[in-house]
This record gives sequence, structure tokens and C-alpha cells, in this order.
Amino acid sequence: MRISEADVEYVAKLANLEVPDNDKKELAEQLSRIVEHVEQLNTLDVSSVPPTNQVVTNSKHALREDLALPRVGSSEAGKTVKLFKVPKVITER
Amino acid sequence: MNLKNITAEKLVALYTRRDLSVTEVITSVFDEIDRSDKSIHAFITLCRDRALEDARRADSRIAAGEALEPLTGVPVAIKDNMAVRDVPTTCGSKILEGYTSPYTATAVERLRGAGAVIVGKTNLDEFAMGSSTENSGFFVTRNPHNLERVPGGSSGGSAASVAAGMSLIALGSDTGGSIRQPASFCGVVGMKPTYGRVSRYGLVAYASSLDQIGPFAKSVRECAQVLEAISGFDQYDSTSADVAVEPYVKGLDQPVNAIRIGIPREYFDTATGGMDSEVKAAVEEAIRRYESMGCKIEEIRLPHTEHAVATYYLIATAEASANLARYDGVRYGRREAGSGGLGEMYRKTRMAGFGKEVKRRILLGTYALSAGYYDAYYLKALKVRTLILQDFQKAFEKVDLILTPTTPTVAFRIGEKTSDPLSMYLSDIFTITCNLAGLPGISLPCGTNSEKLPIGMQLLGNHFQEGLLLRAAHQFEKAGGFGDISA
Repeated sequence: MRISEADVEYVAKLANLEVPDNDKKELAEQLSRIVEHVEQLNTLDVSSVPPTNQVVTNSKHALREDLALPRVGSSEAGKTVKLFKVPKVITER
Repeated sequence: MNLKNITAEKLVALYTRRDLSVTEVITSVFDEIDRSDKSIHAFITLCRDRALEDARRADSRIAAGEALEPLTGVPVAIKDNMAVRDVPTTCGSKILEGYTSPYTATAVERLRGAGAVIVGKTNLDEFAMGSSTENSGFFVTRNPHNLERVPGGSSGGSAASVAAGMSLIALGSDTGGSIRQPASFCGVVGMKPTYGRVSRYGLVAYASSLDQIGPFAKSVRECAQVLEAISGFDQYDSTSADVAVEPYVKGLDQPVNAIRIGIPREYFDTATGGMDSEVKAAVEEAIRRYESMGCKIEEIRLPHTEHAVATYYLIATAEASANLARYDGVRYGRREAGSGGLGEMYRKTRMAGFGKEVKRRILLGTYALSAGYYDAYYLKALKVRTLILQDFQKAFEKVDLILTPTTPTVAFRIGEKTSDPLSMYLSDIFTITCNLAGLPGISLPCGTNSEKLPIGMQLLGNHFQEGLLLRAAHQFEKAGGFGDISA
């Protein structure tokens, strides 16, 4: 399947990316080559094969008691800087 | 003090006997970095003051006669996609400019707990996307063996830092070979543990079902020491495995003569791999050495190998496109002002902040997940992933370990593959199957080519067989004498 410059523009919009006009042609060509390569998977019949999302490895997180545990991360950062300054994210339509 | 000729164990012994102080060693490490890193460019951030403070603290503990941890005063470098509290984490990306981590990654915390001293954070392909460290948003890292060659990637800075004696050990992350391939190119040992073996808390996510943290070192023994320190369950990582950690170092000298080693025919088939003849010869020599050590060598089949690159680049990019959606100018680092409201701010920030390869992968992943293509690309790749996993499950019924080259060629020239992303992706053929199947793998030096560039071989094991992998690698190293290929 060939990826056109219009496809690049459309997918870029979905991904919240802006692609400069003079990069579109090159990107369309590179992505086309990659997509043509991955289409070799079509030679395999996988209709009865289940998908593997993740190789599960003895995780014990399925269920745990609903207890608040100490954590580090944003709450820790909050102690240091008190407030985070963010841009206005709610706009009128 | 030259780090090239010393191991972590010897260093700690010198400290214990008070023949050397940690402060002296850490000071000389920074002298070496000041000298060598002008041409190699392995480090993005140096932690000089902190490291010297840690060194002084260790020295006063030694003076007080306290028992030392196994890595006390050992200088380590950390790939700059792992969080270290109060230190910038850039991921080699301009989009994280100005971002400082508010906490420390579990693996780094554990390494510090074992006494290690962090000297700095190393360069990488932006968000770990690449095989050469040429995709860094800041600068290109050079291979210490030959400055015109790439160090490999994406953990190129970590590999180069160990190879050049700017740190004794380093941490990297491996999503499709990003520890093993640069280890091979730089002539050091690099290990990717089983998925879930090492906590990924504090590792910036690229492809969450594939990412894993692991060590670089000059010897297998040091790799085992680091892995022992960083492995184990972590309540902060929901994919962390609740499996006991073996005493890897203790197990290194147990016999290997009953081990069955599988050689996958597909990896040696030039049509699939495009393997260089000198690489092939070195790996075949390694196979003969294992045979002479009493191991049983068997040919095995991994028939879906030829589909691994396609499968990997669909799954990894799909996961990346979701993971990197968080870099929107609101929560981290860089923010570009726009006049057209929130959407424009997102797009302008992401356009200015991300480099070409990252954008390419986000676009590919978004395409593979988009309406109308999800089943044809992403779901299909997840199904082929099952076939690749089944190939390995069948193989491990017959053999204990699998031996392959780490890469089809030695380190390539800087700029050689940058204009052709697909050819760069195809060079990952031998390393990516391991991530898709969640297996542990190790790369270790097995020779040099006619230009004195290192050649690496790879051993793969079944899930949680790190002990066996390390043991087989250690005894190869002991029998070999590839000790003299440091840069």
C-alpha cells in the first residue's frame, strides 16, 4: 500500500503533529517503503492464532487491597514546588 | 587509575584495603571524561558534585570500618531515559528541555543501594528510537574503537562510556536490541533480562510491552553483579515479575558441560540476515569453543524469524505513538506558544520538540492503529508475535540456550544508514525476536574483524534463565581471552 502525502497529513493530524510541507514527500516515500515491507505479514494465515499483547511474566498485580501506599512521583514533586503552572487547557468551542 | 584494567570486585577490594580512596577514583574518572568525552560524546549530563559527595560519604564509611556493599564506589553511567531525582532527564529529545526528574527510577535506586556512584547520564537515540545514537536530539556519540563509526544504539552513550573507561558499568534499556547491539559494536558485555525481571518504574516508556532495563560492563561477572542488584519485584511497576532473584554471581562457576545449545538455521541464512563473513566466522569459532567445552550443539529452526522486523516495527511504533502522546507541552519540558488555542500549542510543541525519526515512528504507529488499518496491521502483528513466541517455546523443549551473532555486521560508519530508515531497521534482525518473546539475552565479545572492530555474539535463554545465560557467557569469556579488545 502506498502512502500519499495526503495520508501523511491525515495521520499527522491524528497524532497531533505538524509536518512541514517540504518534508511530506520524503516521509510519504519512507513510510511507503516501510509499509510495503511490513505487508509481508499478509503471506501468513493467522486467522486461528490468538494475539500476544504482552508476554505475561508472573505478575501479582491483578488484585490487591485498596490501601493508599506511599509513592514517589508527582506527589513528591508537589511537596517541593507546591504549584504547577500549566497553560489554559479549557477553551470555548 | 585506568578503569580499563580493573573490575568492580578489584576496585572494592582496593577500597577495603585502603589502597585507594573512592574520592581519588571518582576524581580520576572525571579527569578521564574531560579528556575522552570531547571526542566520544557519550554523556549528556555529568553529575560531578553529587558523585564527589557520594564518594566522600563512602570514604568516611570505609574509614569507620563499615562493611561495604558489592558495588561501593563503583562509577556507573545511566542512560538518559531513566529518572534520577533532581537531575534532568532528556531522553535525547529537545521536547524534554528544562525537565528535571522529581524521583529516581527503581533500578537506579537499587544500584545506588548497592553502593554505586552515578557519574552522569548518557546519550541515546531520541526516546530510544534508533540503532546508532545518530538520532539524538543533541549530538552524535562516536565509537571509542573508531571515531568514524557509530557506537550502536539506542544505548550508545552507555556502551561507549564503558568501552572508553569513562565508567566501569552502565545501565541501558533494550526494546529491540538497544543494549545488546551497542554492546556488540563497542566490544563490551550487555544484557537484556526477561521482560518483568527489572522494574521499569522511572524508565521513560517507548514500547511498554518490549522495554527492559539491563547492564553494560566489561565482564560477565560485573554484569551478574549489577543484575543481582537491580532485579526483583517492585510494587511501582505493574509488569514487574514476582519471581525470586537467583544468586547470579555465585552460580557463575557451576559446570556448563551438559548444556544444549541451539543454532537457529535461519539466522545463518544469508538471505535473512545478510551476515558479514567475518562475523559469521567469529561466531562459528565461538560455537566450536562451546563444543570443546563439552556443550551439545544442535541445529534448531525459528521459522518466523524473517517476519520479526515487520512485526516489531508495527508493535513498537503503535505503542510508541500512544506513549509519546503525553508530550504535549502541558506536563513536561518544552512548550511552544501558539495563538490558535490548545490544539495548536500541542502541534507546535510536538513539531519543534520531536526529531525526524520519532515523528516517523509516531506516524507509522498512528497509521497502524487508525480506523480501517488496525486489523490489517496492528492486530496481525500481535498474532505473528504469538508465532514467534511459539517458535522459541518449541526450541526450548530441545535446547537450553540459543547462540546467534548479535548483529549481522560490525559497527557501521556514521551517516551510512541515516537516509534509509528501513535498512537501519533491518540491521536489528537478530536482536528483536528476543524482545517480542520477552526472553533474556546477552551479547558478549567473540572476536574482532580485520579492521580491529569488535564482533559480538548473542546467547538467548528461556524466561528467567538469566543464571544459566550468565554462567554460559562467563565460562566462554574465561576460556577465551577476548579480554584485550578494550578501546
